[in-house]
Amino acid sequence: MMLEHILVLSAYLFSIGIYGLITSQNMVRALMCLELILNAVNINFVTFSDFFDSRQLKGNIFSIFVIAIAAAEVAIGSAIVSSIYRTRKSTRINQSTLLNK
Amino acid sequence: MDLPGPIHNFLLVFLGSGLILRGLGVVLRINPIYSAFSLGLVLVCISLFYILTNYHFVATAKLLIYVGAINVLILFVVMFMNIQNIIKILIHGPLGMALLRCTILDTSWYGIIWTTRSNQIIEQDLIGNSQQIGIHLATDFFLPFEFISIILLVALIGAIDVTLQ
Repeated sequence: MMLEHILVLSAYLFSIGIYGLITSQNMVRALMCLELILNAVNINFVTFSDFFDSRQLKGNIFSIFVIAIAAAEVAIGSAIVSSIYRTRKSTRINQSTLLNK
Repeated sequence: MDLPGPIHNFLLVFLGSGLILRGLGVVLRINPIYSAFSLGLVLVCISLFYILTNYHFVATAKLLIYVGAINVLILFVVMFMNIQNIIKILIHGPLGMALLRCTILDTSWYGIIWTTRSNQIIEQDLIGNSQQIGIHLATDFFLPFEFISIILLVALIGAIDVTLQ
């Protein structure tokens, strides 16, 4: 009973994260939804390593690496967002069209 | 923790429903500060959830790193932005509805529910969770460990360099 309920929960968090990431007009909200996605993936890894790999915990260790990568990515993302805000005074996503045409 | 059955199930249901509500709160709240706080509560719920499955090290690492560092950083960025053009009407146009339909209806919930597990004999852990993770990090996963430290160093230098101008 427990494995499939936790997997459904992490799939739900992943869907909510993708939905929020694509339909958000604010760059900071997109960063937050990216964190939701990474956390859902972490729940999946840890649950599978709990149920199938209790001796070696490979999924658990991989989730530690995912946490570290998410920390680096949030740092870089917020640096980029604050430099964009400084030059443009707005954080709307649909105004970053400099690579068009 | 080895809690008895009903308490375990009750805590799982409680944390799961909290996760569901706050996940929606991150996406649907208009004020970005509220959604940042909802993200913090989602992360706290997930670490409590890890404590329930006996993984104390990962739970504490998530609390320290995610809630303590990443969420605080996101809150700083949100408060620094001073977002004034908050759109009062939630713009959930056709793209949003199509995406919601895709992500919820096209996920193979049926395949997830019918995942079976093999009958494993659960032995008593003589080594704790932190020691197991430490042993594997130092022997099998040593190279990724060093790469992660280099990645974090590069990210730190890059973030400082971008915001120094």
